[in-house]
Amino acid sequence: MSKTFKRLLTLVGAGALALVGPLAVSAQAPDDDTLVIAQSVDVGALEPALIGSRAEANIMAMMFATLYSIDDDGSLVPYLATSYTQSEDGSEWTFTLNEGLTCHNGEPLTAEDVAYSFQRAADPANGFTGNTVGFVLPSVKYLDARADSDLEVTIIMDGPQSEALRLGLLSEVYIHCKDYYESNELAFLAENPVGSGAYRFVEWRRDEYVLMERVDEFTLRQPAFKRILWRVIPEASTRVAELIAGNVDIVANVPPDQVRAINDSGTAQVQAVAGTRRMYVGFQFSEAFADSPGWEALQKTEVRVALQYAVDVPTICIALLGTECERASSMVNPPNDNPNLEPYPYDPAMAEALLDAAGYPRGADGVRFRTVLMGPRGRYLNDVAVVQAIGQYLSDVGVETEVDIRDWASDYVPLIRQKNVGPLFFLGTGGSTWSALYDMADLSSPTAGTNYTNWNNAEWFELWDATQGVDPVTERENVNRMLEIFYNDPPWLLLYFQPDFYGVSNRIEWQARRDEKVLPYYARLAQ
Amino acid sequence: MSTYILRRVSQSIIVVIGVTLLSFISLHLAGDPTYLYVSERASNEEIAAARVALGFDRPLPEQYLNFVGGMLRGDLGTSLRSRQPAANMVLERLPATLELTIFALVLAISLAIPIGILSATRRGTPLDSGIMLFAMFGQSIPSFWLGIMLILFVGLTLRWLPISGYVPILQPMLNGDFATAIDNLPNALRHLILPGVTIATFSLSRNARLVRSAMLEVLNQDYVRTARAKGLSGRVVVFRHAFRNALIPVVTILGLEFGFLLSGVVVTETVFSWPGVGRLVFNAITQRDIPVVQASVVIFSLVFVTLNLMVDLLYARLDPRIRIG
Repeated sequence: MSKTFKRLLTLVGAGALALVGPLAVSAQAPDDDTLVIAQSVDVGALEPALIGSRAEANIMAMMFATLYSIDDDGSLVPYLATSYTQSEDGSEWTFTLNEGLTCHNGEPLTAEDVAYSFQRAADPANGFTGNTVGFVLPSVKYLDARADSDLEVTIIMDGPQSEALRLGLLSEVYIHCKDYYESNELAFLAENPVGSGAYRFVEWRRDEYVLMERVDEFTLRQPAFKRILWRVIPEASTRVAELIAGNVDIVANVPPDQVRAINDSGTAQVQAVAGTRRMYVGFQFSEAFADSPGWEALQKTEVRVALQYAVDVPTICIALLGTECERASSMVNPPNDNPNLEPYPYDPAMAEALLDAAGYPRGADGVRFRTVLMGPRGRYLNDVAVVQAIGQYLSDVGVETEVDIRDWASDYVPLIRQKNVGPLFFLGTGGSTWSALYDMADLSSPTAGTNYTNWNNAEWFELWDATQGVDPVTERENVNRMLEIFYNDPPWLLLYFQPDFYGVSNRIEWQARRDEKVLPYYARLAQ
Repeated sequence: MSTYILRRVSQSIIVVIGVTLLSFISLHLAGDPTYLYVSERASNEEIAAARVALGFDRPLPEQYLNFVGGMLRGDLGTSLRSRQPAANMVLERLPATLELTIFALVLAISLAIPIGILSATRRGTPLDSGIMLFAMFGQSIPSFWLGIMLILFVGLTLRWLPISGYVPILQPMLNGDFATAIDNLPNALRHLILPGVTIATFSLSRNARLVRSAMLEVLNQDYVRTARAKGLSGRVVVFRHAFRNALIPVVTILGLEFGFLLSGVVVTETVFSWPGVGRLVFNAITQRDIPVVQASVVIFSLVFVTLNLMVDLLYARLDPRIRIG
């Protein structure tokens, strides 16, 4: 080797060592006052009326308080409000606020600010498309809001409705102060929020982190950590590496195949919880699919019931999701479901017998009928493998199923939004721990945007309308009856409640919730 | 020369028009784009009203002309998620991506040249075979896998370098804050190494092979043999006579290389949580924020086309055979 090359290599090596050597330390571990949480996506805007995803809502919920809140155990508890009353016809709800509330800029927070928060979100001129205007306000049939006094605000809605459903939904509207939000442009506000909750905004570096600091004067919540740093780490493996390295305290969406690595690391543990997201295979009823394979057979209730017995859900959970999970007996999360309904067991012989009885015996080639099962890639836990397994289970009982996997964002979402999926399709939908009707609201009408199957059971929809605003006992009776209808004339092939995996550093004590919310009010350093 | 310039500029304009057309079509590939702009529970009436308000009820050619008109005014639409101008969002993240790309380019080229020369001058030896084997691996390894392996080994096991994150240099400089840029430099370099190596590996391997083959070709030329016969030392023959000529193809592909590295940042930025345009595009695709995807594609293509145009014009200036041909 010539001297030149030796010199060159020496130079390169020395340069690399000079760069790496003195700087050979890992990223800073968080100090005792700071909690670091890693999520896969950043907020699009720090605008409470534009929040759509769970990851965004987690961040905003620490800065913006709500009238009531959903506690860790799923109960609805007072927050900015101390109590509420309803008008006789159930259309006007008057909330009484705590005294002495302020926003983070020192502006007093009164009933006028609460009314403004609702009115601003609902104002079409603002063009908001977040969860509040897109889901909450239409679902509670919001009409207007008014301040009755400094401490009393009335939300006006169209007619009566289930109390728990309405209260839970109203608990998702973030409250802020009028003067600040009225006197600034939307674009400025989207980057400079002034909240009303336990933490105040400090800094946002897009796609990197959001830093917030505890408001010590705020007494309605008293979190242990002085600061929360929400880091954005899109790649799951990187999130897990940061957790094991001790740079992050809580990691959401841990892939099942990395659970063991975390548990063996000695620095963190995985908490697996049965989530509230309902996973199902939808049966498409739209006549636009009449020419699709298997559509005609799937219109028969007997066939749809038969297929419930064909899929071994517990095995799918253990083999593909890495944990045990209970099969759903309805679209409602326990404990709000109908206790009299048992999950369909895995019984392929029963499935075959019912298919025979429904008029679909196996042909000479062993096939009863052919169909297509559509599914997404990249949205749900191990989604492709789960869809393929379901397709195989259906094929095993003679319903030869072709699996059609589509990219979630670019392909599947548009099809779902236009209800253009089927004749079978795999999907998940978020649920709650506090209201059966919330979970059932996907099927609030035959034309509801979330009734992706276009199911149109007349008795169900009559009961849905009749259940709005009735007393709790009647509501429970109606819910149970509706879930029986759902069970016996199923628009969904019922699967499971998706398990969620959270990586939690041994440095802290924190308990994951079922509803995908990461609200670390009660997180603290481990003793 | 002026004819050549005119022809290359015309070709570049055609490419940009093609990119805008593809970018526009992408919005309509998945059906009616109105559904992107309305809430999930919007009624049919609300969807119809939004369709009219957004202009999606108009003929596609008219919509395309409006899109191009907006582009010429610097208006590439508004992000569906953040409500910020899409072009601004891309430009805000461009410095982070440029830092990573330039670092990777410098790393790739500065290592590829000596490695390629070394391999060529040691042709047929175990050293040459070893280098070529590694070069082949470098070209075969998927960047996301390499990135994760580097994170696990260098970041997590050895704890030499940060696992993820970003410290800015260019952005403070653009803001005129040179003191912050200099303060950030050591920490920024630490954060640059792993993603930079991930992106540079393919380019380094390819260019090492390119330099090797170019060197081998030149080393077999008569004038090199003549130089040797004159009694010149091996070092003088290699560096003064052979290397300069072997470098020509490498210089030629530098513009393309920069564009290639730019396109490679999408995966790498995601793996290393690097807040650049690649991450922005990745997020925009997964969240169906089509205006941001369009803006990124248009701006990236403009950068790519401009760079290549500049390289071609420079090359034509240096080598008359190009413009005559």
